[in-house]
Amino acid sequence: MSTYVYAISASSHPALPEGMDGVGEPPMPVRVLKEGDLAAIVSDAPEGLRPKRRDLLAHQNVLAEAGAAGCVLPMRFGSVAPDDATVTGVLAERADHYQERLRALDGKVEYNVKASHVEEAVLHRVMAESPELRALAESNRRSGGGSYEDKIRLGEMVAAAVKAKEAEDAAEVQRALAPVAAAVSVGPESTGWLVNVSFLVDRGTAEDFVAAVEEARKSLAHLELRVNGPLPPYSFVEPGPAEPASSTAGADAGAQ
Amino acid sequence: MTVVPAQQTGGGGSSGLYDVLELVLDRGLVIDAFVRVSLVGIEILKIDVRVVVASVDTYLRFAEACNRLDLEAGPHKSPGLPDMVGGITESGARGKSKGALSGAAETISDAFKQAREEGESEPRRPRKATAARRKEEQE
Repeated sequence: MSTYVYAISASSHPALPEGMDGVGEPPMPVRVLKEGDLAAIVSDAPEGLRPKRRDLLAHQNVLAEAGAAGCVLPMRFGSVAPDDATVTGVLAERADHYQERLRALDGKVEYNVKASHVEEAVLHRVMAESPELRALAESNRRSGGGSYEDKIRLGEMVAAAVKAKEAEDAAEVQRALAPVAAAVSVGPESTGWLVNVSFLVDRGTAEDFVAAVEEARKSLAHLELRVNGPLPPYSFVEPGPAEPASSTAGADAGAQ
Repeated sequence: MTVVPAQQTGGGGSSGLYDVLELVLDRGLVIDAFVRVSLVGIEILKIDVRVVVASVDTYLRFAEACNRLDLEAGPHKSPGLPDMVGGITESGARGKSKGALSGAAETISDAFKQAREEGESEPRRPRKATAARRKEEQE
């Protein structure tokens, strides 16, 4: 039976979520493997595990529970070891590294911030800032919307202006929140947000961070800010010391 | 939309859930001695896609939106139109990459929808054209 791994923590973690529902249908119970001063939060791996919503949620819930009580190093979804002995073997082999990370992240949580433009508000902004855009829009309007070429020309310029605004606002969000965070990690770009950035925040100053978010909401009213936290420090665990740079791709290929 | 900042998103179907699951899939510790489950269909998400996609669809939509926009209303009221137009000619060479990115677009919520559908053991629906979905999302 292979072993699904949720997180690594200190064996002195005050409330390891033993017995909680893990991934799988029916859910596999969460177990704890200890090795020296370290512990791995695991369960049996279900057959045919896939990134289904239910399993992603189970993974997140186990981490949320464990992370609320003490420091954990969250694993990326879907990490499966051949057996328990492999897991404890890794803990033993890389104990110094994991202990260093646990010390570095102790008492800290992650807040992930994503933002998108409120379309009408950002269009107002770019129009307000550009006499050229206003003139073009006005001339199109006067001629009943303008020709196809007129519309493309206006739309292209507006799209460029909005895109420039996205970069500007992404930097603005970071500038507003970075001073109240211990570390910043910029996430991948995608459709759906103009900025995706995680902040490592000391539990003791989380209030300040939340207050800074509220300030940013007021001063950047043309943005919709989505904030999630406190979370386990997903974005602040480093890759292991012995891993080659391409380890992710290699592991994925091996899984297929 | 208002989100309570100090919130633990643990359930429900909000966009906040997707925002957290993106972290679960994309961040966190990877150990080379372990194997990761195949994320076929989800790894595609990592393709770097800009938010404003340079496409004729987008241009037409923005042009329409600007035509409808009432610049004299609302909190973002703009200054009046200048008397004279001209002198600003910096935009000619922009946007030559029309459509270059649009084929690559696969949003994370698409994948989660797909994942959810699979989770409910439904047959996978054919995906809508990404341009149409993007349009829906932006509106």
